Formats: sequence, structure tokens, C-alpha cells
Amino acid sequence: MVVLKTIRHLSKDVEEYFNITQQVHDIVRESGVKNGLVAVITAHTTTGILVNEALPCVEADIAEMLEKTVPLEAPYLHAHFLPTYGATSNNSQGHLKSVLTGNHCLFPVIDGQIVCGGAQDIYLAEFDGPQLRKVYVEVMGE
Amino acid sequence: MLIDMHIHPIFYGPICGDETEVAFRGDTFGVWKQGPMEFDELFAEWDVCGLTRAALLPLDVTTTVGGWVVSNDQVEALCKLHPDKFYGFASVDPHRPDALEVLERAFCQQGLRGLKLNPSKQRFDPADERMEPIYALCERENKPILFHAGLSWEPDAPAKYAHPLAFEEVAIRHPGLRFCLAHFAWPWVREMAMLMIKYPNVYTDTALLYVDSPEEQMMELFTKDMGPMWFERCFPRQVMFGSNGPRFRAFKLKRALDKVPMRDFARENLYWKNALRFLSGEEV
Repeated sequence: MVVLKTIRHLSKDVEEYFNITQQVHDIVRESGVKNGLVAVITAHTTTGILVNEALPCVEADIAEMLEKTVPLEAPYLHAHFLPTYGATSNNSQGHLKSVLTGNHCLFPVIDGQIVCGGAQDIYLAEFDGPQLRKVYVEVMGE
Repeated sequence: MLIDMHIHPIFYGPICGDETEVAFRGDTFGVWKQGPMEFDELFAEWDVCGLTRAALLPLDVTTTVGGWVVSNDQVEALCKLHPDKFYGFASVDPHRPDALEVLERAFCQQGLRGLKLNPSKQRFDPADERMEPIYALCERENKPILFHAGLSWEPDAPAKYAHPLAFEEVAIRHPGLRFCLAHFAWPWVREMAMLMIKYPNVYTDTALLYVDSPEEQMMELFTKDMGPMWFERCFPRQVMFGSNGPRFRAFKLKRALDKVPMRDFARENLYWKNALRFLSGEEV
């Protein structure tokens, strides 16, 4: 059995850490899947899916680490007009932060519930907002 | 306050009901891989950079391509939805036989605030005598013109019609007509500067982001393509903030311009005062 749901979120800032933990847990509970796996996958290349503790200090440390690792101003190649878009790229920072955070996470599902640690919250990380974003939640099992 | 004087509302949700028309707009304007956006998404981006108002630009390419890249009626409709946020511009294909009627209706009945023309895409010489009735009408109605100038990414749009020097005769003949040569006429920035030094009724905007990051291109524009003091010293009343949305994102250009050194008076002019003077002709 496979159930696919989409979480839609309009980010309101250039960078944003949006906690989607409850929405993912609800989707799993309502999916009818008792035992299996849930995959949380972003539909974009300038967002990330993070699993970490939902504390403001942890969020700030993650954001600071990513900013140091991938600064806004650096001689990125992806900063020019793209004829196939008719628009200028200029979001390399978002792409690279997305690479570092990854585009998905997985959790086991047992007895219709996600099995996870108490500190494991799930974030949609925005790195090129504001934009309307989509996250796919696929629950697979029996 | 921040006014964006250069937006093509091609993907504004309320005027995107017809998929074929939206595809025509994209192909004609030369923009792809973007889709309709609702106002909550658009205004979220405005909020990030403090954008308060924007000029919406249509384009009439009836005789050259067979349609509009957003029509005057659609701009009017968008303005009615958010009259506190939008300045609606008109467009008219200069080759159409009823051009003056279309324009008179846009100004006098539809309440549109200026005229958008693209000599490259609409295929006309700005100094052609046949343009005189249109310029005269704009002057009579106190409506500014925003011309596309410099490089155009639109297909089938030769740059020869959009070189700054192609507009000098218009500036000479019509000292009372305010007109903007958009995009800083890039890459002809020095020619653009020359026109602004000589003709106080000639404006430009910052809607260019063709070769580098926003930070790099704005710094190059204001400190290398031009001398670092030229804007403040020579034409502080003639450059307006413009993003060229949907090609470039307004908040990124604003972020980059915030980093360009300039005095407070010049920054105020750039961000909103010059736009208001351009629109009304009155001191701000």
C-alpha cells in the first residue's frame, strides 16, 4: 500500500525553518498504513528537509553554520542569465545549502505511528524564499 | 518606501485563467519555467524588501506577433484589485491604425498612468516621425513613457532600435515629455549617462541583472560602469528602482542596492521619490 500526500507551505522569508513534524505524523496516522516506512521529500532544489531538535538555539546554530559554509557573496558560477528560463539564476547559495541539508528524510512506521526519537523534529528548510513550496509525504507499507 | 517601476505581471494569478494565453505571453516575452502566482506569494516577496508599490507594464504586439503580453484591460483589472499597490501602465502597438484611440481610452477612461513601449519587440524607430502623434498625446495628457532600452532577452527583438542614441531626437523634440529608457540601456551605460546629463526629462531604472550576482552587478553599475559619484552628482533625480520581474527578484536587487554607497538623499530618490516625480511630473 502506498499513500502520497503533499504539504504546501508559503515561506515568508528568504531563509526559514518551518516545522512540519505534526503534519507528517498526522499524514502517517491517517494513511491506514500500519507497518512500513514514511519518506518526506521536498519538490525543490533550494530547500532542504532537516531532522533535528526544535529549539531556537539549535535552529540558530544550524543557520549560522550553513551561512558560514555557504556565504551569500562568493564567486559562484550560477550567477548569470539563463536563456532557458529567461531569468537570472543568482540562487547558488540556496542550491548549495540544499545540498548540505539533503532533500528528504525517512522514518519507520510501526502500528500506524512514526517511530522516532523525542527530539527528532522535521523541518522544511527554505533557502530561496519567499516561495510557495511543496513537500511530498509518501507512506509505504501494509 | 520602495516603488518598483518595472514589473511585467505575466504570471499574476487573476489574469492567468487561460493557459494558452499564458503560454503565448511566456513565449513572446521569452520567459519559461515559471507559472501563475497568487497575490499572497507576490506580496510575501514585497514584504521582504519593503516594496510598497509597483508599476505594471503590458505590451501590445498586435501587428508584430498577433497579441498582447498582458493587455491594457488586464492591467486595469489588476489595478482595480489593488489600487493602493499598483500603478497601471498602458501599451499600444504604434503600427496599429487605431493606436491613438487605444491610447486615449487607456489614459482617459481606464485611468492608466503612463505608456510602455518596446522599440525592439514592436519594431519601430523611436525617432520616426510617425511616432510624433503618440508622443504628443502623452505630453498633452501629462503621461510618462517607459521605453525598453538596451539588451532585450525577448525573441525577435533587435537591439538596434533600443540603443540610447536612438532616443536623443525624441528628447530634443519633446523636452516636456518625461521618458525612461529602462534597464540603464545596458550595456550602453555611458551613453545612457550622457543622455541623462544633457536631458533632465530622461530617466532610467535599475532593471538589469544580466551577467553577475545582484551584488556584483549593482556595484559594477554604480561604481565601475559609471564613476562612483556620477549618480549623486550628475543625475540624482533620474534613476528609479526597477526589478524587471519576473526575470529578476526585486528583493535581491534591493539587497544589492542597499550595499552601494550613496548619500541618503540619493537613495531616497532612487527608491521612491524619482518614481513619483516621473509619474506625476510634480515635485515630491
